[in-house]
Amino acid sequence: MKKCNTRTRVMIYIGFASVYLLGIFFWGLFMPESGYDVNYADKLLPPGSGHLFGTDFMGRDMLMRSVKGISVSLLTAALAAGISSVIALAFGVTAAVFGGRLDSFVNWCVDLFMGIPHLVLLILISFMLGRGAKGVTAAVAFTHWPELTRVVRAEVISVRSSQYVRAAYKMGKSRFSVAWGHVIPHVLPVYLVGVILLFPHAVMHEASITFLGFGLPAEEPAIGVILSESMKYIAMGKWWLMLFPGLMLLLAVMLFDIIGENLKRLWNPDSGNE
Amino acid sequence: MRKKRSISIFCCLFMLFLSACGNSGTKNERADREDKDSIVCYVGHGFFESSLDPVKGGFSYGWSFINNALLKVQSDSTYAGDLAESYSISEDALTYTFILKEGISFHDGSEFTAEDVVFTYETVKENQGKNEKVDLSRMISIKAVDDRTVKITLDAPYSPFLDMTAQLGIVPRSGYDSESFNELPVGTGAWKAVQYDAEQQLIVEANENYFDGVPSIKKVTFVNMDNEAAFSNARSGQLDVVMVQPNYAKEQIPGMHVEKLETMDVRNISLPCLPLRTVETPDGKKVRAGNNVTADAAVREALNIGIDRKNIIENAFNGVGVPAYGFTDNLEWGNAPEITDCRRKDAEALLETAGWKDTDGDGIREKGELKCSFEVYTPSDEQDRYQLAAALAEDARKLGIEISVKQTTWDEITKAAYQSGVVWGFGQFSPMVIHQLFSSETFLTAQYSNTPGYENAQADALIKEAIESDRHDKAVEKWREVQEIFAQENPYLYLVNIEHCYFVSDRVDISVSTQVPHPHGHGIPIICNMKDWSLK
Repeated sequence: MKKCNTRTRVMIYIGFASVYLLGIFFWGLFMPESGYDVNYADKLLPPGSGHLFGTDFMGRDMLMRSVKGISVSLLTAALAAGISSVIALAFGVTAAVFGGRLDSFVNWCVDLFMGIPHLVLLILISFMLGRGAKGVTAAVAFTHWPELTRVVRAEVISVRSSQYVRAAYKMGKSRFSVAWGHVIPHVLPVYLVGVILLFPHAVMHEASITFLGFGLPAEEPAIGVILSESMKYIAMGKWWLMLFPGLMLLLAVMLFDIIGENLKRLWNPDSGNE
Repeated sequence: MRKKRSISIFCCLFMLFLSACGNSGTKNERADREDKDSIVCYVGHGFFESSLDPVKGGFSYGWSFINNALLKVQSDSTYAGDLAESYSISEDALTYTFILKEGISFHDGSEFTAEDVVFTYETVKENQGKNEKVDLSRMISIKAVDDRTVKITLDAPYSPFLDMTAQLGIVPRSGYDSESFNELPVGTGAWKAVQYDAEQQLIVEANENYFDGVPSIKKVTFVNMDNEAAFSNARSGQLDVVMVQPNYAKEQIPGMHVEKLETMDVRNISLPCLPLRTVETPDGKKVRAGNNVTADAAVREALNIGIDRKNIIENAFNGVGVPAYGFTDNLEWGNAPEITDCRRKDAEALLETAGWKDTDGDGIREKGELKCSFEVYTPSDEQDRYQLAAALAEDARKLGIEISVKQTTWDEITKAAYQSGVVWGFGQFSPMVIHQLFSSETFLTAQYSNTPGYENAQADALIKEAIESDRHDKAVEKWREVQEIFAQENPYLYLVNIEHCYFVSDRVDISVSTQVPHPHGHGIPIICNMKDWSLK
């Protein structure tokens, strides 16, 4: 077998992971509600040829519900990653560029958010906004920026004080062209990897607060709902209600992790040589 | 960090998986247990959620356990004397006289006299705020005429007062302690509370001097745990009586059998009777109330006769439960109309006549712009109500009526209840529930009361007459009569008279024939006749 280099291998990993995640995402997004319709004739069937993941107590197909659930989680996570990354970029760059009071203010905000246990903060925000899809999305979206803000700020500061940036200023380049030509290309890879690595967090957090009953309502096919329902059936030995959705969630989280780690190696060749 | 988290999640999942599989195949320890005259029961969290002190509303079921009341409810839901030998009501319905039984003593050895009754009633009256179960606000005085006679005077005729005398257990004047009675009350009952561990267990022992027959089982331990944990413990043979939800009824546990016990608990869905509008509550708040779909009496009637209750119960509860059309017949005052449901043709004709037609071919009827669709709310901590509503929604779809089922907290439900359906559960001895659910007075003023906004002057008058009637049988007659009016207008859609499921060890006989129909609240009611239980 021909040995492929790291770059190719990384691309293959990323490719597979992205295809799987995007596939699940769009499958769930465009799934009609009839896909997981109630069918009392097929209550609590174990996994088999008709229903790959079995059925639940209302005869709903667990594969379809799980896919839909993961898809809902991914959608929430995408929104969260989008909003959090914009906040992080704005905060991080302003803090680093302007410094002084603004910098301390941003740092203070970051410390404030990181000082409160994340899950508690999520529950508070979601509860305040009346739970449901709105509450959980807002909660997840507005609490994932502090770590990324720190990273962006640190990166910008280190670029700003580097020799070539100072040289560029001496040569009469404007602030804007320095930012565009030097700062952004340097910060972008770290930033993008940070954004990708936000996804697994957001997915897990959406699932957890829904599981605890502070997120999506129980009639929605969300992964947290599926898992909390399955708890009631474990004592009866209906293991498939929990196992497959749980594994799918785990897989989604791990794949994001793989994409993130591999992108880091790709965009930061130094670490590729480690 | 992230990897560690993923791994730990995986471990959790795996362990849960193992524990799920591990339950089957344990050997039955029940037969090996040594204690031949004691049992261990799980009957929910009821003992551990609130005070056991009758003065604070503890144990107001209408039958005796640790304490006895003046009257008690019998298996046919009529009243009989418990501590009272007999009672009489004066002609103006204001004075109730109770003649007490003789020779009864409390667990602490002191003798039971009329003074104890006076003390109990007066203490409750003074601390009414602490007791929401027994309402003595109508009582103006209670006097001990002699050691064996108690006279109670009311400020106005109030027939449900009799229910209160069955619900209030008598505590001893001499030994009463507001603190310790929360956990270990002293009474005259068949069972003595001997040990209470908060959130863990309550142990009771047989009262060897009980005036109404000494229990054959000598010691009963009530444990507190999750429903699922209790089921697992039952499987491993550690429990003799275990409350389970209906979805467990088809499971098998070696050495145990399922008992489905009769209740007076009905599940009904409120259907707002008003068209959507803004109304003002007594404290000046504006709320939206009513629903344009369910305000049409034809929709309510079509649901009532068109759905298939048997099938709904089969789907939602594994067939555990009996179709209900009103308050149950095991209540003295219950008067459910005779209805034949599953009449889909009739229901459809009714809807067509009322102008509900499916014009756009999506299977749901419309009338002009209005879709024949409404929401039904269920509490998120009660999966069985959700399943009931979901099963109803499936059935109603066949009639062209769309019901979307929502699950949320009671806070949210209380807000939504005025514009949507809610799955309610009602089961109690007192007919005052009729006042609560149907009287126009309670709309917007009391929580969980008349959320459909039902208003009928004739019904209001009958309810008033029933409450003020001077004789128990007259009151019962009025209560029965008023239900015939409701049956014409269906502000509530009755679905099922639930049955309470328990796994009972084959060595225990729970004397099903002397069980009193269970009131609302799955769990504790199975012990209503515990003194009649025996071990084989």
